Amino acid sequence: MNPHPAPALERAHDDETYYLNMGPQHPSMHGVLRLLLRLRGELILECDPVIGYAHRAHEKMAENRSWIQFLPNTSRIDYLSGMIYNLGYCQAVEKMASIEVPVRAQAIRVIVSELNRIQSHLLWFGTFLLDIGGITPFLYCFDDREKILSILERVTGSRLTYSYGRFGGVSQDIDDVFIEQTRSFLTRMRKQAPMYHQLVHENVIFRKRCEGVGVISREVAHDYGITGPTLRAIGVDYDVRRAEPYSGYEQYDFEIPTRTGGDCLARFEVRIEEMEQSCRIIEQALDALPDGPVKPAKFIKKLKPPAGEFYFAVESARGHFGMHMVSDGGDVPSKIKLRTPSFSLLSSMSEVLEGTMVADTIAILGSVDVVLPEIDR
Amino acid sequence: MSYLGSIFSGFKTLLTGLGITGKEIGGKSVTELYPHVEPELPEAFRSVIQLVRFEESGSHDCVACMQCVKICPSTCITIEGGKIEGIKGKRASEFEIDFALCSLCGLCIDTCPTDTLEWANIYDDAGQEREWVYDLLKPHEAFEEQYLTTRRAIEAKEAAEKAAKKAAVAKAKAEKAASEAASQEASPEKSDTTSEADS
Ligand code: SF4
Ligand code: SF4
Repeated sequence: MNPHPAPALERAHDDETYYLNMGPQHPSMHGVLRLLLRLRGELILECDPVIGYAHRAHEKMAENRSWIQFLPNTSRIDYLSGMIYNLGYCQAVEKMASIEVPVRAQAIRVIVSELNRIQSHLLWFGTFLLDIGGITPFLYCFDDREKILSILERVTGSRLTYSYGRFGGVSQDIDDVFIEQTRSFLTRMRKQAPMYHQLVHENVIFRKRCEGVGVISREVAHDYGITGPTLRAIGVDYDVRRAEPYSGYEQYDFEIPTRTGGDCLARFEVRIEEMEQSCRIIEQALDALPDGPVKPAKFIKKLKPPAGEFYFAVESARGHFGMHMVSDGGDVPSKIKLRTPSFSLLSSMSEVLEGTMVADTIAILGSVDVVLPEIDR
Repeated sequence: MSYLGSIFSGFKTLLTGLGITGKEIGGKSVTELYPHVEPELPEAFRSVIQLVRFEESGSHDCVACMQCVKICPSTCITIEGGKIEGIKGKRASEFEIDFALCSLCGLCIDTCPTDTLEWANIYDDAGQEREWVYDLLKPHEAFEEQYLTTRRAIEAKEAAEKAAKKAAVAKAKAEKAASEAASQEASPEKSDTTSEADS
C-alpha cells in the first residue's frame, strides 16, 4: 500500500495540468527524495516533497541503547556533517551530565568541525554546479575535499562516519603532522578560491541560472524555521556559533557572512564566504592550541544524567541542529528528538517552488543543500 | 547590458573557464589508480578489529570479561571463555565478530581493560555471503600452545616461589613463637605486650 496517497492527485484537475514524479531515482535528486510536481507545461503549480525513503529510526534506536551506544548513530544522521553531529551529541550529553572537557579537546573539536564544514560546502559546491550543468568545478573541488578527508582520516581513522567524539573529549589526540597538513590545506584553499571565483562566479550561464531564482522570503523562512546559510542569504545573521557559543567558539574572531537577495546566488555566495571564515577559525584555533589531555583518564562508558529535559544545539553545515533529550536518570535515554535543518528547508519547498520552472527546481534544491538521510533520520 | 555586450561578456567568461581547464590539463594527475596502486593507510585506519599479539607473552590477552560485548552498539561480537587448567583467570576460547554488522565505532577498543583489541588494516576484503564473520582467535592459534606452556611454567614458578616464601614466613613465625614461648616462660609478666605486638 502506498503510505503517501499523493494528496495533490485528489485535487481538481484540468485538462492541461499533469503530474511529474521527480525521483526517488532521479539522477539530479539528492539522495532518495521524491518531488511530486503538478505542472502546466513547464510551470510548477504545486510541489509535494515525499520523504521517508531513507528512514532508519535513529530516534527510536536511541531509546533502546545506552547514551554512549548512540554515538555511532550520530555521524550517520547527516553523513556530510558527521563530525559536527557527533561532537554536538557529545557536548549535549556532557552538558547534561556535567562532564568537564579539557581545553585542548575543545580546540580540537572546533578545528575538526570546521574542516568538516568546509568539506561539506565543497561537496555541495561540486554537486550544485553539476546539477546546473557545470561538470568541471566538481572535479576541482573534489580534489580539495579529498585533502580534508585524508587529513581527518589520519586522526579519526574514517572518512565520513567519524565517531571521533568521546564523552569528555575526543578519541585521539592530533599531532604535528595533522597541524602541518591542515595549515598547508588552508594555504591551498585560499589559493584555489580566486580560481573558483573566476571559473564559476563570473560565468554567464551560472549567473543566469541563479540570479533571482528561487527567492525565499523572510516570511517563508520564519514560518518553516529555516536556518543556516539559507537564512543568512536572506539577511538574517543567525548562527548558533555566535548566538549560543559552544566548545569555545566565543574566543574566535569570525564574521557571519550574509546577503539580502535570498536567491540561489545569495546562498551560493554565503557558503563560499563561510568557507573562508571557517579557515580563519581553524587558523586561530591552531595558533592558540593549548596543551593537555584530550580525554578523561578513564573511559566514560556508564553514564546516568540527572532526570529531566534538556536542549542543546550546534551549527551544522546546513543550519541549526538541535537535540531535545529526555533523561529519566537511567543509563538509557528516554527520548532524543533530533531537530535537523534540512527538514525545514525541504518543507518550505512546497511554497518556494510554486510558480517556478521545472529546470529551476534543480537549481533551487541544489542551492539550499538538503541531505536526505538527515530529513528522514 | 546590451545584447551584443552580453554575448561578448558571455564568451569572455566561457573562455576564462576554458583557460583554467587548459592550465590544469598540463598539471599533475591527482587520481589514485586503485586497485593497481595500494593505498597508504593511516595508522588510525579503521577496519575490522583484531586481537593484539603482545611481544612479552607472544599472544593476545583477552580475559573474556565481556566488556566489549556489552558495549558494542551493533551486538556483533561473540565471545566464549573459561578457566584453563594451570592458569589464573579466564581466557577466551572463541572470539568472533560479524563484520557485516560492525559500525566501526571503536567503543570496544576503548573499553577493553587489557588493551588487547586494535584495528586491523584490511581494506579490500569482500564476500559473497551475508555473513561476514572473522574468527579473531585464528591468527593466534599457532601460538596458543606455546603461550599456555610458558604461562603455566611462569605461574607454576610463581606459585612455587610464593609457596617457598610462605613456608619461610611460617617457619620464621614458628621459630619466633618458639623463642617467645621460651622467653615467656622465663618472664611471664611480659606476655601482654608481646601478644599485642604479634597481632
Ligand atoms: S567497533 Fe563498535 S560496532 Fe564494531 S565491534 Fe567494536 S564496538 Fe562493535
Ligand atoms: S573487553 Fe578485552 S579482555 Fe574483555 S572480552 Fe573484550 S577483548 Fe577480551
